[in-house]
Amino acid sequence: MKKKLESFLLDVQKPSRYCGGEVGQIVKDKEKVDVRFAFCFPDIYDVGMSHLGMKILYSLINERENYWCERVFAPWQDMEEIMRREGIPLYALESLDPVKEFDFVGFTLQYEMSYTTILNMLDLAGIPIWQRERGENIAPMVVAGGPCCCNPEPLADFFDLFILGEGEEVNLELMDLYRDMRDRGASRSEFLRAAAQIEGIYVPSLYDVAYHADGTVKSVTPQGHAPAVVRKRVIVDFDKVYYPEQVVVPFIEIVHDRVSVEVLRGCIRGCRFCQAGFLYRPFREKSPETICAEGRALCEHSGYDELSLSSLSTSDHSRLEETLDEMLTYTAQRHINLSLPSLRVDNFSQSVLDKITAVRKSGLTFAPEAGTQRLRDVINKNVTEEELMRTCKIAFDGGYTQVKLYFMMGLPTETDDDIVGIADLAQKVVDLFYDMPDRAKGKLQVSISAATFVPKPFTPFEFEPQMEKEEILRRQEILRRAVKSKRVRVSMHVSDVSQIEAVLARGDRRLGRVLYEVWKNGGHLDSWEEYFDAGRWYAAFETCGLDPAFYANRRRDYEEVMPWDHIDYMVSKQFLIRENEKAHAGVITPTCREQCAGCGANSCLGRACF
Amino acid sequence: MKDYRIVFEKTGRMIYISHLDLNRCMLRAVRRSGLPAWYTEGFHPHLYLMFPLALSLGTESVCEAMDIRLTEEMPEEEICMHLNAALPEGLHAHDVHTPQYMTKDIGSARYEVILQGEGLSEAWETFLAQEQIIAPKHTKKGMKDIDIRPMLTTEEMHTEGDKLILTLRLPAGNERNLNVGVVLSAFGKHADKPFLTKKVCRTKIFCINGEEFF
Ligand code: SF4
Repeated sequence: MKKKLESFLLDVQKPSRYCGGEVGQIVKDKEKVDVRFAFCFPDIYDVGMSHLGMKILYSLINERENYWCERVFAPWQDMEEIMRREGIPLYALESLDPVKEFDFVGFTLQYEMSYTTILNMLDLAGIPIWQRERGENIAPMVVAGGPCCCNPEPLADFFDLFILGEGEEVNLELMDLYRDMRDRGASRSEFLRAAAQIEGIYVPSLYDVAYHADGTVKSVTPQGHAPAVVRKRVIVDFDKVYYPEQVVVPFIEIVHDRVSVEVLRGCIRGCRFCQAGFLYRPFREKSPETICAEGRALCEHSGYDELSLSSLSTSDHSRLEETLDEMLTYTAQRHINLSLPSLRVDNFSQSVLDKITAVRKSGLTFAPEAGTQRLRDVINKNVTEEELMRTCKIAFDGGYTQVKLYFMMGLPTETDDDIVGIADLAQKVVDLFYDMPDRAKGKLQVSISAATFVPKPFTPFEFEPQMEKEEILRRQEILRRAVKSKRVRVSMHVSDVSQIEAVLARGDRRLGRVLYEVWKNGGHLDSWEEYFDAGRWYAAFETCGLDPAFYANRRRDYEEVMPWDHIDYMVSKQFLIRENEKAHAGVITPTCREQCAGCGANSCLGRACF
Repeated sequence: MKDYRIVFEKTGRMIYISHLDLNRCMLRAVRRSGLPAWYTEGFHPHLYLMFPLALSLGTESVCEAMDIRLTEEMPEEEICMHLNAALPEGLHAHDVHTPQYMTKDIGSARYEVILQGEGLSEAWETFLAQEQIIAPKHTKKGMKDIDIRPMLTTEEMHTEGDKLILTLRLPAGNERNLNVGVVLSAFGKHADKPFLTKKVCRTKIFCINGEEFF
């Protein structure tokens, strides 16, 4: 294998994507390990290597002497051509062994547009794509984890099982069970039936789905002893949860080229469009001592000169300033940049800004998400215009000249006024800058990015229709015309991708055929604009007799059985309905720290969240 | 403060690491090694590292040079030891000197090349017998066809079975530079028969004055 690879690696771009050998990679003797896990990221190396969850689980599994986890990424087109031409199967980077020989082939589901890449990787590996064609041999077990598992139904027919929620404990429990049962000679279906008894493990082949005549789901019925509802896993003591001291240090530059400490999990905000804000509940944080110790260890072992304190909203950490003070004493001495990728507008203080600019000055990003206060109340994005202006002023005083503003279009209840509001808000930022007598030298650059809203499961907007494409295009045009200043740049997404995303996010099992059809007709790496082909997707819907609008653009009743209703992410349906009603009434919900809104996520803690 | 020149090998999987990536990899290795590296002054201090001569992707080497400045003097073996503990497989420091020459002094480099195939030694002879060898070469003004024959010296050549083992000397450095890959693809076109490139390794760097570069 190694020999064969060597003769082709010089013919591809960035060959070090395909040969492993990085500092921090874990190599074991395969004769001495019991269970081998191929951790597959359904995108190319440069993207997958940036992913924090993979780094955590890679190290966690490898801590166990007799288990070996390796990395697998999707090849870029140039490499795929060579692999198919030369008969090189998909292999893992550490051992260069074919993925097909592994016990577990585990994918992480980070975004819907990666689904076709999964099918392509299974095919490249020589593993049957449909679960039912894998036979009774226990290996390889094709599994998946990650946020999109909250509605895994479109992928149900391709996977043996899904791992719901946080993987730090359940992954090892699953591997232990596998080792025991394999050694006793168990078959695939015997193992799957047993695995379904582990909390957080969903085995889709053990559930029968029935549909109404109108295409909506009628019922999901478990077979045998499979639980009627599968609940996600949560780490209760987050301060003590396993965290790696070393990561694999890539040779090539990757998307997020730095080490990061996950300072908190969950979010106190409850923005109604944001799936992550609900999926990762409840809010839990690490102590400053833990954060600093983990940060130091990572810097020392990896040699990176950038450390990021990451989470959904780092400034919500209750002891952030204290943490920053301690961390900065260390990083400044060692010429390490400290970055905080997710700061919020409203509690972004002068002293926090001083601390991060002491190390590095770069552009600032804010996400007001909607152009008017009315619509921000609807989506519960509790940021006021004054707060935004105050923060921009602090930033401009600090010498920043680049501001990025993120918005969404097609939000529930949105009107043309809300769209014009986006341009107005950007204009106010421009005026603020030019009204400052002692503003920084250089030109101001305000960029607006407006994505199309995609309703997601487990959010209060899971009932909402996605806005039709024609209407989105009309509104994009309104925004373009409303922007007057040359200092403001607008970028907007292709809306076909958003519709496909919306279909897959809230889709059911019947979509498996669509995915297969798209893949068979050459579709994969669909998250890359150059490979996404809307025509291929719409043709596949046609072939399968399914209507994308049924999934994406239809309002769903509160009573409708959702394809994912047998999956429990600990936020209750009643809570989501309450929040949906409040959204339409334009009533905000305070943060979890101010007042519990009763979502139900605290049940795993056995106490109140705060 | 003292400058050191570290001589290291780049072999195995490391031949797929580009020069830019090697630079980044070495920066991190120095940071991991705990060596008292010197940082530049100013608002964005960075670790000072310099590579006198780049190596192209796909070529091995046993004689790469990297210059580093330490804030204090250290025994040379100790520098090697610390760095090697932090380097990935395929990168290995084996010597440390006080730099004698500068980048501008570099004049040429020696390569060991092993090719495998039928009738290669005759092909190489006829390749060299040509008056001109026109090959496309990267220049500052983009790709250009130039005559590489005058730049190509075969210091030694012998065969072992179906293997042709060559020792080549090619110009290297700021003034004139010829990539061994350019020579091999020109030979490929000339030979017009299939062969495998088993090994391409830079074995020594020389100064314009003929002395070994260190
Ligand atoms: S239980 Fe209450 S405090 Fe906890 S996450 Fe849900 S709403 Fe927030």
